[in-house]
Amino acid sequence: MSRRRVDPITLGVIWGALQSIAVEIGTTVHKTAYSEQAREGQDFSVAVFDAEGRMVAQGPYSPGHMGAMSFAVQHALAAHPARTLKPGDAILLNDPLLGSGHLPDFFITQPAFHDGALIGFAVNILHHTDVGGSRPGSQGVEGIFDYFQEGLRIPPTKVWSAYRENDAVVGVIAANTRTPSSVLGDLRAQRSALRVGELRLQELAARYGRDTLAAAMDEILARTEANMRAAIREVRDGVYTFEDFMDDCGPGTEPLRVAVTVTVEGDRMDIDYDGSSPQTASGMNSYINYTRSYSYAAVKCLTDPFGPMNEGALRPVTVSAPEGSFLNPRPPAGGGPRAIICYRTFEAVIGALAPALPARVSAAASHMANPTFGGWDRAKRRRFVAYELVLSGTGARAAKDGCEAMSWAFNASNIPVEAQEANQPIVIERFELIRDSAGPGRFRGGAGIRRDMRFLADEGKLTNLSDRQRFAPYGLFGGRPGAVGRTVFNPGPGEEVVHGKASREFAYGDVISFQQSGAGGYGDPFERDPARVLEDVLDDYLSTEAARAQYGVVITGEGAALRVDVAATERIRRQEKRNR
Amino acid sequence: MSYRVGFDVGGTFTDFVLQSSTGELHTAKRLTTYPDPSEACLAGLDELMERAGVPWTQLTQAVHGTTLGSNIVIERKAQGIGLLTTRGFRDVLIIGREKRYQVYDLQIEKPAPLIPRRMIAEVRERVLADGSIRDPLDEEDARRAIRALAARGVTTLGICLLHAYRNPAHERRLAALVAEVAPEIAVTLSHEVSPTFREYERTSTTVVNAYVMSAVREYLQSLQAAMRERGYRGRLFVMQSSGGVATADAMERYPVRMIESGPAAGALMAAVYGELTGHKDLIAFDMGGTTAKLCLVENGRPGTTTAFELHRVNNAPGSGLPMNIQAIDLVEIGAGGGSIARARLGVIAVGPESASSTPGPVCYGRGGHEPTVTDANLVLGYLNPAYFAGGTMKLDVGAATRAIDQKLARPLGLEVEEAAWGIHTIVNTNMELATRVVSIERGRDPRDLTFVAFGGSGPVHGCRLAQALGIPRVILPAAAGVTAAIGLLAAEVKFDVARTFVARLDTLDPATVSAMYDDMAAQALDVVRQSAVTAQLTVVRSADARYVGQGYELTVPVPGGRLDAAALAAVRTRFDEIYAARYGYSSPGEPVEIVTWKLSAVGGTPRVNLAKAATAGTRDPRKGERPAYFPERGGFVDTPLYDRYLLTAGASIVGPAIVEERESTTVLPPGAAATVDAYANLIVRLPVAGTPDEPVLELIR
Repeated sequence: MSRRRVDPITLGVIWGALQSIAVEIGTTVHKTAYSEQAREGQDFSVAVFDAEGRMVAQGPYSPGHMGAMSFAVQHALAAHPARTLKPGDAILLNDPLLGSGHLPDFFITQPAFHDGALIGFAVNILHHTDVGGSRPGSQGVEGIFDYFQEGLRIPPTKVWSAYRENDAVVGVIAANTRTPSSVLGDLRAQRSALRVGELRLQELAARYGRDTLAAAMDEILARTEANMRAAIREVRDGVYTFEDFMDDCGPGTEPLRVAVTVTVEGDRMDIDYDGSSPQTASGMNSYINYTRSYSYAAVKCLTDPFGPMNEGALRPVTVSAPEGSFLNPRPPAGGGPRAIICYRTFEAVIGALAPALPARVSAAASHMANPTFGGWDRAKRRRFVAYELVLSGTGARAAKDGCEAMSWAFNASNIPVEAQEANQPIVIERFELIRDSAGPGRFRGGAGIRRDMRFLADEGKLTNLSDRQRFAPYGLFGGRPGAVGRTVFNPGPGEEVVHGKASREFAYGDVISFQQSGAGGYGDPFERDPARVLEDVLDDYLSTEAARAQYGVVITGEGAALRVDVAATERIRRQEKRNR
Repeated sequence: MSYRVGFDVGGTFTDFVLQSSTGELHTAKRLTTYPDPSEACLAGLDELMERAGVPWTQLTQAVHGTTLGSNIVIERKAQGIGLLTTRGFRDVLIIGREKRYQVYDLQIEKPAPLIPRRMIAEVRERVLADGSIRDPLDEEDARRAIRALAARGVTTLGICLLHAYRNPAHERRLAALVAEVAPEIAVTLSHEVSPTFREYERTSTTVVNAYVMSAVREYLQSLQAAMRERGYRGRLFVMQSSGGVATADAMERYPVRMIESGPAAGALMAAVYGELTGHKDLIAFDMGGTTAKLCLVENGRPGTTTAFELHRVNNAPGSGLPMNIQAIDLVEIGAGGGSIARARLGVIAVGPESASSTPGPVCYGRGGHEPTVTDANLVLGYLNPAYFAGGTMKLDVGAATRAIDQKLARPLGLEVEEAAWGIHTIVNTNMELATRVVSIERGRDPRDLTFVAFGGSGPVHGCRLAQALGIPRVILPAAAGVTAAIGLLAAEVKFDVARTFVARLDTLDPATVSAMYDDMAAQALDVVRQSAVTAQLTVVRSADARYVGQGYELTVPVPGGRLDAAALAAVRTRFDEIYAARYGYSSPGEPVEIVTWKLSAVGGTPRVNLAKAATAGTRDPRKGERPAYFPERGGFVDTPLYDRYLLTAGASIVGPAIVEERESTTVLPPGAAATVDAYANLIVRLPVAGTPDEPVLELIR
């Protein structure tokens, strides 16, 4: 398709404006949302699409929805063709196959018109607190064998018509959630955000003309694609493979294999998950849109991290997984807890490309926990559903340590202790880094984080969602894996270790401790500068015992007077080299 | 005769303004000194007072603007800063909020924490979200922790306990224990510095306050002492980020409030110029060498924010240090004369990287080799190569032309002047987006506003920028280069108090709030009274409100006097209106709660008397002509040049024209009509009705 050429200056202006529209949609969701996961955790995504349903700009939120978005908009428009849409209409869907893989993600597409002609779409996807099903939070693993147990499924449906809420649809949603006030509140946040996006798109069309805007959007996609192709061309051609395992899909089950083959050929990249485990009779399945999202995100990180993100950047990359595998399940497979699978698809691609791009990759990150809780809040006399995101450190890089406490592929924020406690029957007892958990290396990974939560609630129900409790985050190029994580009931004497994907009850006053894995190291830990090891001991990231065992660095003295015993360190390190 | 002096320390220059009670104005400019900026301050003050023939004893007020606090934080040089917190939470500062500010960057770094982990200690205690004490403070444990920190060399201690904004008893008790166990340690308490929820942001604010405390105190005390030695008998006032001034003594406890005080003064001064010319609703546009700052002024007052982030990476939200302080709501972007232009993806991209003063733009001839906005403006004929900074610097047009040709024009297939015009336009576009943030996103139609452009580069770009936004009127103040320093003299004495008290508006007892406001007013007035120059004091109240269940608030005005049910109902209605204007819809059926109650005590506005322009001149202000680039005229056209200092009140100029002065250059595009007002300001009217090549933005309400 060729439209008239847009001069470079106008193109630059429109490009910047589309990006700022995406940001403004996101800011509006963030500032007006009701639920902790949306307003504090920022578990949502936003984008601007052109009139043909192609993503032209994306906001700086969770990348996980991005691959899904392009496909979901197509599905929404297949059910409600663009020519049937009117100003103020919006299409909602949460079907796992059509959307982003699980029911809590409400995906809404709102068209924008100028002088009666379609100019594009504002799109927002937001993770809602609860959409019914067997577990509070709708993210159960155990006992789930299809998505009908996970809550309300919405095919592409007009949730707003001509700027008015569709009372019937909203009423059905409200009747099928344990938390109608936060779900309806978050829906209002989505509505405000998309309205803001629609207005900004209209202003842009009014200013530059519809044709110029459309031509600019074409050009943006074409240039981004060319840019991405050039970036891929810099990666050495080859077939790269990697395998890793998720712990399992619930108590008493086997590990899930994630196998990836990345083929780099000229300016294109193919990612295939052949060899990965079959789909599971649990919630642990990642529908193909979700698998695509994090595969794209990994490629983007390794090739063109600062370039624009839109559909053009996706074109040179294909993602496939065998139908019927847990990375491309057939409906009605369950998918509620699929968020914790994203780390693994993302890291598998990075692991595969490590030999080709040693300076760009990062070792595996500490794994997040994304548990949900429900029960009866005695003090406020109401049922509650709470959501948590325990995010820890990232993996070491070729020339620097991993970050402490930094979200990984799934880009979200933690929920402030004071916000969680103000709204939920929860007292957080600890929120801290775990000593000696970081994967050793010439550069070390970030530490695991521990978050202990006491529940002042009756009839408590935990849906645990953790991983890397059996298979540690990998190190690279001689770097060691981080320590595995665990989930503990009432830590201390008589504590009980709980399975990472258990569904179980808790009693009033129980403490549940989420102790996350440490991130992987990079390079030989016996080559780490002893001065850096000493710093880590002084700051209590590392015990003197671990300094010796993990790094071969001998530290003597007490308190602020700790120092490296250089001679002993050199002796131990020499001996270790000989023994290898 | 009495005098007031304002002096503002910037990254490159320190500006001085001395004004007599009759309005006579003296200005000076001097290079900022490092590491001790007070050297330049004192030298400049000495010079200015001597030149004006004013003895120090006749000085009644000195107002200081400084970015000292910000600089200390950037350099991470402070030593001996510690933090005491609730057991189990020593890592709040290191953990932060964890979101990636650059989504796809695997090499990302978090800002280095201000305090190493070894200087953070925990105490056994626990306050719950409702303010109740679950675990009383273990005083033995606390003494041990304080001694341990003292042994590690802590000299300034931040104390931030969970939920202290609801119940500060334990923080207060800890302060008393520090005084007992280690009296040499200075203390800063989170509930005093930032009484609001979200522990990371409050801890960060408290720690920044502790971090700059001793350096700011020493600096202000030695500066005051030096001024007293010279005979100054008044108090030293400091500009806060909020735009109010307070005594240096008051700032010693809350230095975080003056973390970035220079830019606030510029916005204030824009408000004064607006007022002077009868325009109370305006956009202040301050464009310097590195950044451009934009601020919405409504009804004569710059907007303020309570969520401020220091030192962001490429302006990315979440990449800086968050601080809960009242600050003038400026949008600052990397767009200045030194912003570097590059070809990226086949289009011109400008900034945010800056060539700053070293090496500077290519045309400075100091080793810069990447073309900048200033280079483009020179090539376009807007700047006078022989009269930059009043002729103290010569600019190299040839070098600028070659750089633009090699780095941009050839790679993009453009002519040199097209590429230069592209740089000029793209930087305008970047600033335009920022302007939209401060106007349209705040629910204001820019076409109803007046644009006040100042700073070294502001008058070069101001008219074009205003035109692109459909703004019909631009004010280009006299002495644009020292606008911020003049602003210091226009600032009110002001002190802000905020309290978190979450309550639903429909069930709230008005008497409770009235009593709390009385208490807050007493606290704020006490500080202001100690320093007020005039006796007239006013109190302004507002509240941060949200729908019950939300997590972020919008600020609503709260009427004065005793509150009753009707007053609270009016607050609620106003909230719905503000919400709808910002977010498209409101929810009048949903309950509203107030989270933070705010109050500012304000001393009477001081008068700034601005010098009047001459009404009749003896010399022709027109000093020649030069080819300058105006695409609507087909390219370079001979453009008349004017000497701003020879323009008399009532004079008028029609664009295209260029007006030169020492610190800046005004570009009047074709169609612009400027007149000189009584105060030597240029008041420009721009043609705004949709011209074919620049259709006016149609706002949808």
